[in-house]
Amino acid sequence: MPEIHVDSLVKQFGEQRALDDVSFDVAEGELFTLLGPSGCGKSTTLMSIAGFQTPEEGRIEVGGDVFYDAARRVSVPAERRNLGIVFQSYAVWPHMTVFDNLAFPLRVRKTKRAAIRPRVVEVLDLVEMGPYIDRYPHQLSGGQQQRVALARALVYSPSVLLLDEPFSNLDAKLRERARAWVKELQGRLGLTTVFVTHDQDEALSMSDRVAVMSQGEVQQIGTPEEIYRRPTSRFVAEFVGNVNLLTGEVAATERGRIALEIAGGRKLWIDSERAQQPRAQVTVAVRPEALRLEAAETSTLNGSNTLDATVRSVAFLGDHYQYELETGDLSLTAQTPRAVFAERVKVHIPADACAIVE
Amino acid sequence: MAQVTTTTYEPVAPVRRSRSLPTAGSLQWLVWLVVVGLILGPFIPLVYASIRDRPLYEAGGAFTAGAYRDLLSDTAFWHAALHTLEYAALTTTLSVVAGGAIAILVARTDLPWRKALGRLTLLPLLLPSLGIVLGWIVVWGPGGYLSSLVHTHLHLGTLDINTIPGMSVIEATRLLPVAYMTCEAALARADSSLEDAARSAGSSPIRVLRSITIPMLRPALLNSGTLIFTLSIASLGIPLLLGTQHNIQFLSTYLYLQWTNGATPDSPLVSAGAMLLLLVATLLLLLRNRMLGAEARYISVAGKAGRTAMLSLRMWRWPLAIVVALYIVFSTLVPVIGLALMSFVAFLTPLIAPWHLFTWSNWHILGSGIYLRSIEHSALLALIGGLVTTALVALATLVAHRSKLPTRKSLPFVMLYPRAIPGLIIGIGFFWAYLLTGAPGSWLRQGIWGILLAFCIRNLPFAYVVMYPTMARIGEELDRAGRSVGAGWWRTCRSIVLPLLKPALFASFVLMFVEILNDYDPALFLVRPGTEVIGTTMLDTFLQGIVGPVASLAMVQVGVTVIVLAIGTLVLKVRVTGGHDA
Repeated sequence: MPEIHVDSLVKQFGEQRALDDVSFDVAEGELFTLLGPSGCGKSTTLMSIAGFQTPEEGRIEVGGDVFYDAARRVSVPAERRNLGIVFQSYAVWPHMTVFDNLAFPLRVRKTKRAAIRPRVVEVLDLVEMGPYIDRYPHQLSGGQQQRVALARALVYSPSVLLLDEPFSNLDAKLRERARAWVKELQGRLGLTTVFVTHDQDEALSMSDRVAVMSQGEVQQIGTPEEIYRRPTSRFVAEFVGNVNLLTGEVAATERGRIALEIAGGRKLWIDSERAQQPRAQVTVAVRPEALRLEAAETSTLNGSNTLDATVRSVAFLGDHYQYELETGDLSLTAQTPRAVFAERVKVHIPADACAIVE
Repeated sequence: MAQVTTTTYEPVAPVRRSRSLPTAGSLQWLVWLVVVGLILGPFIPLVYASIRDRPLYEAGGAFTAGAYRDLLSDTAFWHAALHTLEYAALTTTLSVVAGGAIAILVARTDLPWRKALGRLTLLPLLLPSLGIVLGWIVVWGPGGYLSSLVHTHLHLGTLDINTIPGMSVIEATRLLPVAYMTCEAALARADSSLEDAARSAGSSPIRVLRSITIPMLRPALLNSGTLIFTLSIASLGIPLLLGTQHNIQFLSTYLYLQWTNGATPDSPLVSAGAMLLLLVATLLLLLRNRMLGAEARYISVAGKAGRTAMLSLRMWRWPLAIVVALYIVFSTLVPVIGLALMSFVAFLTPLIAPWHLFTWSNWHILGSGIYLRSIEHSALLALIGGLVTTALVALATLVAHRSKLPTRKSLPFVMLYPRAIPGLIIGIGFFWAYLLTGAPGSWLRQGIWGILLAFCIRNLPFAYVVMYPTMARIGEELDRAGRSVGAGWWRTCRSIVLPLLKPALFASFVLMFVEILNDYDPALFLVRPGTEVIGTTMLDTFLQGIVGPVASLAMVQVGVTVIVLAIGTLVLKVRVTGGHDA
């Protein structure tokens, strides 16, 4: 039942449009991520679902309950929405022990005294914090506080879990472990979850679906693969990882593919379901690791979509090498897992790796 | 990590709410109304009284600007205004210059004992000001102990404290801590690497002081200067005790004496004068608020100021430390010792050794009559006032900073307002307010509770200023977390915000207790036989020429203040001086 429907949210902060017609649906049990740079409206959207921000227009419905409806002037107070939230700062109450932090939501709900402790213990075990039940927050590490915050958000079995950049205060190593762990727990409990982050790796690795936001608007909604491989806009292509953007004029159209005339009069064939007007300006995005790179002398690369290029610089980045290439007056970035030791190279741009962006 | 735990993930019962309880919104409105009503309410009858042609308790009457005309055509009023201006200007200059200098010495140099000297500089804020003034008179007044001693043995004249400059010096020692605190706080906030940068660019320490440190202090100096100016315009104690006997009138004493000795008591003239004073004080407050806004550009956001680099004073270290120490001794310690001595002798004179004049009578007399009554009243008011004000201000601070009430933004300004208003205006305002509100008003007027209310309102800004910084440090996500797990506004405040505010609540109570115990000027307009408090009794008794019991009463105030503060700092671990740079 707990599906989330967010419909045409609009919110204005002075002159600034914080939310501009934001709509999306989250299916039951899904982990849905709002991804975007700071100030893009992702947190405002999350806090609107939670009830701490009130949009000016739109509608929010969770599991059949209308939480907010501008047209009908409905706005359920935050405390009656029965959502679990993990805040960026964790917001574990410093004057209460771990037990009291978890017991508080149950006491608010007038749970019988005898039932509180077993439930708290059960949920603490779930987040593997059982031994810390009598500690105060200042006696816990950041990662442990985060687990307590999560446990507190789960202890009253809310219909939906909201996560507001919960990993941003953890160091890199811990963050990776926490992600895997939260994802696993979310899947096991089948919790419908909305997750906010500015970290693309986090979004791609954890989500069932991602909504990329910019300047108060949803740019694209899709699975992590779709978002990464088939971005529909320049912004999404550039925000989610490195990208080469190539602009050209439509020179030829065939079934399922088109040819672009790019800098230097060269032709680039790309797969395209949509037909394009002849001579239309089109920009395509292609990921650096999708390019194939070989030393010019020994290369077997040939035919269409293959360009001669000069290596301007090489950087070793641990698990791969990154090349800045120049071909004519076109600059390209390429990545390979193994080093290519040559100044003159051939680059192949696979037709199916190119996504047309707006 | 991979440990598999099974859990019954079934919903706990949803939040149940009884419909009969008042909503958070109505509680917030109630708090707002009470606070705004109590603070601004008394000014309405004051305005009304100033534009009637006769006192409000007389029947009939018509609207007129006559009171203002009379006031502005009275030469005595203009003399008083001039005296007040001279007095306030001198006081402000003295306390800002000296307070700023001590702040720089304490915060930026290697002055010996700087921490202790800094703390002692703050003492006059918390000691009963009326008592300290009496101490000054006993020691330095005409025929005072030390002034006679210096005169007979050294054949030197001392500063005559019955003149305007003399009075300004005493007032300046009372208000200097305000400048000191503001400047010290500004210096502590400012990143000392700004000064290090100037040093490494080749400036001498003196040059750094002149070109960097002092310009950086400018907003703090202006801000505290304006507050001190406002407070010295409003000062009643020193002008009344020292000025009136020598026929130097100030605005405050002019109004007070018109009120008590005028041909028609409580005349519209006094209300008109109070209105003018209120207008000036309000304008100064608005000016100060604007300056605080402009202060933002002086705040260096360099992050953590590391260990403050100390400016070396070299050969001046000890001489300067001694100067500051002597200032503290003469401004605070000597008057208190003078008072203590005075309370144990029949009369104080350098001609006869004090032990020949020893007597318990000044202390005995406190056990009966008006003296006992005043002490009991003051203690009761301080206790109840401390509790009530702390509770009310805590609620109002929650509404101001932790609610969605549409009018919440007005609360901080309203709560700081009484700090800028002369105590005598609050006294007159409440006098008229009680007179015009029928039975509840007259019940308040008959007993000590009317005085309590005026004291609470007068001192409430201190409670707010103590509470606000602590409240601001409690992250908003902590109460959002409370709301998200199902607790309403009031439950969240009660279970999460208020417990975290506890240290500030204790500090507020201690500060309010001390302030109310030592306050007096609003009460001068509300007191009647049977409702005296320590301050009014001291003033009355002194003006009748009786000094001994006044000294012992002042010592009671000093003693209780010191004990309460000691308990506060040692047992409750509170910092109570925080409120005075409001």
